[in-house]
Amino acid sequence: MPLVMAPEGKSVRVIKILTDDKLKKHLESLGITVDSEVTVLSSSGGSVICLVKDGRLALDKNMAMKILVA
Amino acid sequence: MKYFALAGNPNCGKTTLFNSLTGSTAHVGNWPGVTVDKRDGVYKKCAEPISIVDLPGIYSLSPYTPEEVIARNYILDEKPDCVINIVDATNLERNLYLTTQILEMDVPVVIALNMMDVLDKAGDKLDEKELEKRLGVPVVKISALKEVGLADLMNKAYNECKKKREGTTVLSDSALAHLIGDVKIALKGNGVANPLFHAVKLVEGDEIEVGMHKDVVGMVDEFKKTFDDEVFGGDFEALVADGRYKYISKHFAPVLKKHSEGAQVITKSDKADKVLTHKIWGIPIFIVIMFFIFHFTFSENLFYLNGFTESQAWMPSLEDLGYNMDNFGVKLLACIYDGTLYSPGVVINNVWNNIIVGELFGLIQGAIGGSGAAPWVVGLINDGIIEGIGAVLSFLPPILVLFLFFSILEDSGYMARIAFILDRMFRKFGLSGRSFLPMIMGFGCSVPAMINTRTLADEKERTATIRVIPFFSCGAKLPILTAVSGAIVAYFGIGDAGIITFCMYLLGIVTAIVTVLLMRNTSLKGETPPFIMELPAYHAPQFKNLMAHLWDKTKHFVKKAFTIILLSTVLIWVLTHFSFDWRLLADEEINESILAGIAKLVQPLFTPLGFGSQLGKYGWVFAVAAVAGLIAKENVIATFSTLAACLVAAVNIDFGGLDIMAEEGVDAVQAMIIATGITPAALIAFIAFNMTTIPCFAAVGTAKAELQDKKRFNGTLIFWILSSYIVAAMVYTIGSWWWTLFIWLVVIAAVVAYIVLKNKGKLVFKFPVKKDGKKALTVQTCATCEGCEHEGECSSAKKEEENE
Repeated sequence: MPLVMAPEGKSVRVIKILTDDKLKKHLESLGITVDSEVTVLSSSGGSVICLVKDGRLALDKNMAMKILVA
Repeated sequence: MKYFALAGNPNCGKTTLFNSLTGSTAHVGNWPGVTVDKRDGVYKKCAEPISIVDLPGIYSLSPYTPEEVIARNYILDEKPDCVINIVDATNLERNLYLTTQILEMDVPVVIALNMMDVLDKAGDKLDEKELEKRLGVPVVKISALKEVGLADLMNKAYNECKKKREGTTVLSDSALAHLIGDVKIALKGNGVANPLFHAVKLVEGDEIEVGMHKDVVGMVDEFKKTFDDEVFGGDFEALVADGRYKYISKHFAPVLKKHSEGAQVITKSDKADKVLTHKIWGIPIFIVIMFFIFHFTFSENLFYLNGFTESQAWMPSLEDLGYNMDNFGVKLLACIYDGTLYSPGVVINNVWNNIIVGELFGLIQGAIGGSGAAPWVVGLINDGIIEGIGAVLSFLPPILVLFLFFSILEDSGYMARIAFILDRMFRKFGLSGRSFLPMIMGFGCSVPAMINTRTLADEKERTATIRVIPFFSCGAKLPILTAVSGAIVAYFGIGDAGIITFCMYLLGIVTAIVTVLLMRNTSLKGETPPFIMELPAYHAPQFKNLMAHLWDKTKHFVKKAFTIILLSTVLIWVLTHFSFDWRLLADEEINESILAGIAKLVQPLFTPLGFGSQLGKYGWVFAVAAVAGLIAKENVIATFSTLAACLVAAVNIDFGGLDIMAEEGVDAVQAMIIATGITPAALIAFIAFNMTTIPCFAAVGTAKAELQDKKRFNGTLIFWILSSYIVAAMVYTIGSWWWTLFIWLVVIAAVVAYIVLKNKGKLVFKFPVKKDGKKALTVQTCATCEGCEHEGECSSAKKEEENE
């Protein structure tokens, strides 16, 4: 499922990133790689704030739709 | 001299460390992307002086935004003697991702573990000796903010920089290790510096690298054909990233023992975010905060204690209470309370203007007046220079107070949240929330704001943002706002100065939104860039940082007042006091001056905006002020003061004891109103014009440098002229004749309809234009080319040539 729909406060695993290469690389350097763990802390209207490693990342809805987690 | 570079993730404390090491006061903020350019300073407490270079924050050495390119290129090309890699210990794994890339280069590296104080407070333990052993480079615990461990760090770095270091990689266990090794040998054979680093980047398929080493790329492609990973397939780049993170979490992360192992910790920051970034309440909370900032800065009626309207006012003035207004103590009291309770910003303003500047400048003027110098010298100094500079300096307090509030928002970490909550709204206009940060910096000054747009990855978003930054009214435009709106209230008795000021800020923002929408649908079409931003933890604003910000701002402002503005006021005084035949004029003869002669030529241009020809004999003063404002916006108010002094002498009307020097130019503007008969609508249009037109020289220069493309820059200048002209004309016409609103609405509707239809492809215009821009000639054959205006261009001319 896309990250937008992930339950709040539960750790999920990234399985696929559906963006172009440049953006994927940027996400990787921020800690979102395939197989990494992400926790959605709060979401507001599709935009999410999630815990990645020990940092908090804010993503817009479009972006969060393109990160598939399980 | 040795050169050390500070590298690390955004917002990990590089600039704080830089300031602590070099004693600088570079701008620090609590959001990622404050530093967008490299800067250097000197550290003197080592055996020899060391030049320290502060670089913009980077998440990896494969750059995503323009400012990341700067950092990468510096480390690679300038070859510093040592790289100090600052690692935020509270987010160790992610920060070490960059470290693993830096270690691949053949440069001495020292790791500075920053934010140890935060870690200690949380009760976490970090074994830096163990980390040092595993990384193979020195690790030093520091706290940049509290200045702990800095000497130790610099001594270790100084020792390291004398040694040679060869790059190491954490990918030696990975499936790609063999390929990396082979590519490295090939690159080394070609004599490439940092072969390991380039080899890894090449394997990742990094765009810049592939272009640089075309001869070796084949090797990677060959290998790729024979390789298949079950998770990543042939995506080497993801494979490398995964390899790095896996190695980090296996070998490096265990050195950190967390106090609350395992359990997910919801921090205070997270709890605050639940409220402050709430889906519904986020934006209202932001608006309330902004309202209070303006209220505390400008309101002459704190918390509306004195009622909401004039008729509700109940507080007695000091004079009513029977105080002697000449007493110094009472004067001080009057700065805080006089018939109304002032907000902190106004109190500071009163103290500065009524007590410090007012008295001081009065004394100087008195002394010069009584010195027996030639009358023109007295005039130049008293009415030209002191009036002009005094008018500008009197605005220092509101600018500083407003700036202080913004600094608090910035330093606490709230700014980054506002970018997040506004992202959804910005998206509708075709921008990401990220562009909000440079925009709000624009309230301080357009120059750093435009430079900060480097954090925007998308070129078109960047151009659009640079263009609208001046609409976020900067500190230098504030004097125009308060003086003109103050005069409107004082002379016409309409409204409230605070509300007019606030509305003008709003007008600027609305203009920005509308023009961004327009640009993103016409000349700068493109997909809205994604919003990805790290949210820093909230922390209490640092007193030291706040004071450093204010000091910087003050320095900048005072420096400007005594250089460019001083020069401009002298120039304007001279031009108003000499006629074309270089005869010295008295104040009354202002209309015969050189300035008047030139300004009268320009004056008609401003007629549609309300401050042109309709103002009559002395109306050109507004044209002069507007044009002087193109150099620096402070000039507008300085010009007002200088010209008002002449007008009072020239116009034979009773000014009712207006004190041109007093109250921040309000009286000066009133004198101009009386002399020219300008209407309130035209005055508002005047503010609107100044707010949205070409900003000052400095900002224009910055825009030119940041836009790089010459065509884009010219487009930007035209854009500023057009938008200011249209906005001011709209304000003036609607303000004067309300029914013109409907005409404007029809025009706007037509423009919107045109753009929408055109973008949907319903409107197609076929101009007879050739690709090279010349008009295609419909004439195919003529008898002769002689005498034809298109001689030599048409097809028959070519035929003639061929025949010959």
